[in-house]
Amino acid sequence: MTMQKIFRCCLFGLWQSAAVAVDFDSSITATAQWMVNTHDGDSQSLNLSLVPEFNVGFENGWQLKSSLRLRAEAINGLQIDDINRGSYSEYSKPAMLSDEVELELREFYLQGEIGDTFLTLGKQQIVWGKSDGLKVLDIVNPQSFREFILDDFDNSRIPLWTLNIEHSIADWDLQFLWIPDQTYHALPKQSATYAFTSPELVPTAPPGVQVNIEQPRRPNNVFLDSDVGFRATTFWKGWDITFNYLYQYNNLPVLRQNLSLAGGNPVITITPEYERTHVFGTTFSNAFADWVVRGEFGYFTDHYFIGKNPLQNQGVVKSPELHYVLGLDWNAPWDILISMQLIQSWVVKDADKTTRDKLDTTITGLIRRNFLYDTLTAEVLIIANTNNGDGIIRPKISYEWQDNIKTWLAADIFYGDKQGIFGQFDENDRVVVGVEVSF
Amino acid sequence: MKNYHSIIILFVAICNAPFAAELPDGDEIALRINARDEGEAVSRLLTMEMTDSRGKQRIRETKGFRKYYSDEKRTVIFYLAPKNIKDTAFLTYDYPEADKDDDQWLYLPAMRKVRRISASDRGDYFLGTDFTYEDIKLETRISIDDYQRKTIGESEVDGFHCLLLESVPVNDDIAAELGYSKVEQCVDDTIWMVRQSKMWDMQGRPLKTIHSKDIRQVQDIWTQHELEVSNHKTGHHTRFTFSEVRYNEGVNDRLFTQNALKRGL
Repeated sequence: MTMQKIFRCCLFGLWQSAAVAVDFDSSITATAQWMVNTHDGDSQSLNLSLVPEFNVGFENGWQLKSSLRLRAEAINGLQIDDINRGSYSEYSKPAMLSDEVELELREFYLQGEIGDTFLTLGKQQIVWGKSDGLKVLDIVNPQSFREFILDDFDNSRIPLWTLNIEHSIADWDLQFLWIPDQTYHALPKQSATYAFTSPELVPTAPPGVQVNIEQPRRPNNVFLDSDVGFRATTFWKGWDITFNYLYQYNNLPVLRQNLSLAGGNPVITITPEYERTHVFGTTFSNAFADWVVRGEFGYFTDHYFIGKNPLQNQGVVKSPELHYVLGLDWNAPWDILISMQLIQSWVVKDADKTTRDKLDTTITGLIRRNFLYDTLTAEVLIIANTNNGDGIIRPKISYEWQDNIKTWLAADIFYGDKQGIFGQFDENDRVVVGVEVSF
Repeated sequence: MKNYHSIIILFVAICNAPFAAELPDGDEIALRINARDEGEAVSRLLTMEMTDSRGKQRIRETKGFRKYYSDEKRTVIFYLAPKNIKDTAFLTYDYPEADKDDDQWLYLPAMRKVRRISASDRGDYFLGTDFTYEDIKLETRISIDDYQRKTIGESEVDGFHCLLLESVPVNDDIAAELGYSKVEQCVDDTIWMVRQSKMWDMQGRPLKTIHSKDIRQVQDIWTQHELEVSNHKTGHHTRFTFSEVRYNEGVNDRLFTQNALKRGL
């Protein structure tokens, strides 16, 4: 039985029980953005997206929520097809209507209660974790890296077909996830504007060596290859605490390398392959006077890092990874929010064989203030990696002209070593102008 | 002329003697306000109209629930419209202990996350309105521990007699947290509800006036159906209009959870 049939049966059953629709609402949001590369003055992207949403409420309290996204890109710069679509399952893959236009089902789920159990069934986004700007436990859904991490996570997160069951027992809220959708991170092609070049993310071939990249080997069994997750949430003595567990295919493929000779010349063949990992996590937050303390920890049992030696172990190093965030938000005088985060990742085993450091540290700082009754917002987000000395500075100012019209002016300025995760895009600095209209 | 002055002084003294003796003191008024029946739980629709000094108006439709758990008060507000703020939700646990900060959470749909908010944000303006988080939390009640208060006289609002209650924050830190250096409230002493509040900023200048209107009984509980606040410094106005007010019906405990914020109504 395919996943499509399973969901069709479930949806049909729930639809039957839902009986009569009593409430209907719809909306549409149009967003246009123009991004200009500050180095050469060329247009990096000129895009338009339309997101219609339809919600139906039924007599028995159930709701059907759905949204689509039609996105069009101008011919130059970022392209719709910049990402490798092989990472999507057939059920979640956006439809390319032309080279410039893409249509994607963003959400389609039924939501309601059976007794004391809350069900959300269908294509949806699940967000775990407490961090801002970077992710540790917000990994249930994969992400599109077409614009690296510059697009809003709500836009870049890839919704998955998921059974989401929530139930409360005493002071605990329990969540169970079953995700039979084998969709993973959508990574940029080598020709894309935001193609990965950092040796921490992709293998680097020696000069003169030809590299062939094969199609990814994807898990494809709906049941055996599905992801499962569990989260327990409680509120204890002022602390918001969660315990998380996820058994998933890591959303990043393992890039195994094989060296061969073709016509006497060395050729490296890279075979992307997805591997499973257990993820054990916890999150917490609490408020103390002007301060909010928050954090999250994730322990990944099987993470695959790029190896220094492409001939050893097919160029990959398997090790557990400890990844965590500690954050501090300060409500400073004059209604200014200042938020700092320390994000660290440890390669637990054989770090010296990988292309990255054993301990990787990133610091983020955000300063934000709202003006004019929350209609004008000014902020600057800085993400700095201390290992490579690279990072990104993101100032933004946005203004709501009306409830339904918002404009913004922003910049994304990369700096630092080109070997670094942020520094690799040093040539991609840009200024962004955008407008959003909703009805 | 001298006799004339004496008569006036005597008249004032006669008037003032019973006046001073009869008026309840500030703390008694505060206790009476807070002892008023608000219903153990309430649900209601709330329309927020915000108008800036140039007349530009923004309107939000919300649904709010409030429930007491002994002396602990839990309040949740769900935004229903317009699109740019729909599904935003705000939850607060207000504890009776003076030394225990409230717990507050805000769900922002763009982030799909429930964020913890520090309780000292209470002097910040609530989501673009002229009400502070503290104003929203207190509703018709007044804070006992944050102020020293005294009765300063009598007045009238909308044709109703009221007692004038002057409240000053107990220290500069609390004043800075609340954003007010002084509050003067006109308290209807027949139903023990505040009909009008005037606030002064930290420099002692008039800041805003909150006017409660359309006060009538719902299920035998006195209920304000309109709240209007004018900010004298910015010229901005906010009007809250309450409708479909129902007490002690359909307020499920599960509404006051972080999961409920995410799911919405």
